[in-house]
Amino acid sequence: MIVTERLTRRFGSIEAVRDLSLTVPDGSICGFIGANGAGKTTTLKLLMNLIAPTSGQATVLGVDSRKLGPAQFAQIGYVSENQELPDDLTTRQLLAYLRPFYPTWDDALADRLCRLLDLPLDRRLKALSRGMRMKAAVASSLAYRPRLLVMDEPFSGLDPVMRDDLVRGILELAGDGGWSAIISSHDLQEIERLIDFVAYLEDGRLAFAEPIATLQARFRQVDVIAAPGASLAALATPPPPAWLSYASTDRALRFIHSQYAGDDTERDLAARFPDAQIQTTPISLRDTFIAVARERRRPEEARA
Amino acid sequence: MLPFPLTLTPGVPVSDQVVYAVTKAIVAGRLQAGDEFPSVRVLSQELRINPNTAQRIISTLVAQGLLEVHPGIGTRVGAIRAPSRAERQALLRNNVEALVVEAKRLHCDLDDLLDAVKSHWHALERPKARS
Repeated sequence: MIVTERLTRRFGSIEAVRDLSLTVPDGSICGFIGANGAGKTTTLKLLMNLIAPTSGQATVLGVDSRKLGPAQFAQIGYVSENQELPDDLTTRQLLAYLRPFYPTWDDALADRLCRLLDLPLDRRLKALSRGMRMKAAVASSLAYRPRLLVMDEPFSGLDPVMRDDLVRGILELAGDGGWSAIISSHDLQEIERLIDFVAYLEDGRLAFAEPIATLQARFRQVDVIAAPGASLAALATPPPPAWLSYASTDRALRFIHSQYAGDDTERDLAARFPDAQIQTTPISLRDTFIAVARERRRPEEARA
Repeated sequence: MLPFPLTLTPGVPVSDQVVYAVTKAIVAGRLQAGDEFPSVRVLSQELRINPNTAQRIISTLVAQGLLEVHPGIGTRVGAIRAPSRAERQALLRNNVEALVVEAKRLHCDLDDLLDAVKSHWHALERPKARS
C-alpha cells in the first residue's frame, strides 16, 4: 500500500529525504525508526500529500501521493504527534463531527475503542492531558476502519499504561485483513513485538528495510573470554566491518555482530578464538538501534 | 489469559518464542489433547503482537500437528501423534550430538550432563491424565 521510488525532499539547501525507495509489504505493521532529524516526519508528510516531493514519487493505496483525494483519505488514518484538534469539542462531539465524512465508520468499533482507551467522552479536548488527546485522535482515526494507518510518534510523552492502551487500540483494528500500518517511534521496546517490518532512516536515507525476524536473526551480542592464562589481544585486530560497538581488553572482548548467520558464524568465531569461551546472545531492537546508530556516527577513519 | 506460561525476551522472534512455549506446555501436559487454544485475535491482543504473527504461530503449530483447526469450533490442542522413526533418529543424532559438542567445549562432566538431562526430563514429565 506504500511504495516510494527515489523520493526526495529538499528544504532550501537541506535534503531532508534523499532517494528513498521503500516498499512496505501489504498487511504488515512497519516500524519506521531513526534518530531525531533523520527525516521520518518529512517522509510521512510526503506520503500524506501534506508536502510535495522535490523529486521521485510515492504511491499510497495505489495512487500517486500528489493525487491523493477524499476517496483515499477516507481509507487512511493519520495520527501525528503535533496534530491540531478542534479543542472546543468534546471527544463525543469530535466523533460525531467526523462520522459523516467516512462511509466505513463503525459505531460499534468507536464505542469499543472509547471503552478500551478509557476516554472521557464529555470533556473538552483542550482539558485533556497529552496522552488522552493522543488517544482521542487515535480513536477517531481507527473508528472508520482505515485500510492504511500512518502514525507519527504516537507514543511520545505517554505513560506506559497509555502506550499499552494505544497498542491494544491499534490491534483492535489489525484483526481485519488487507490492513497495513506505518508507525514512526522512538519507543522501540513498545513496538518491537507489534511490528513485523522495520525501516531504518538515517540522514534522510534508507539504511535498511527488512522483516523484524531477519533483523533479529542477524544481530547478536558476542562475548569472548580468553582461556585462563591466555590473551586475546593479537587475535582480533582489525575487527571485521560487521562487528559493531567493538570493545576489548586483553582478556575479553565484546561486540555486536550485525551479520550473524547461525552455525556458520559460530564456527567462524570458534576458529578465530580457539580455546576461548564464546557466548552469543540475542539483543533487543533498542540495542540493535543503538549499535547501528553509534557505528554510523563514527568518523570514516575510525572505522577503517 | 493465555493457557500456557510465557515470558517474552526481546531480540528473539516472538513467533519462535511462542511456538516453543506452546510445544513445551504440550509435552509437559499443561495443555492436553482437545483443550481450546486461543484464536488469532486473542493471541494478538494478549501478546500485543501483529495478527499476522499470531496467524503464523498457529499455522506452524498446526503444521507440526500440535494444534488442530476445527472449522466452526475453533483451534484445539491435537493428540500428540507418534513421531516417525526418521524424526526420532534425527533428534537423537543431530541435536544430541550438538549438545555433546557444546558440553565438551565447556568441559562439562558426562555425569553432570546426564544429571541435567534427567532433571529437565523429569521437570517436563506429563502428569496423569486429568480425571
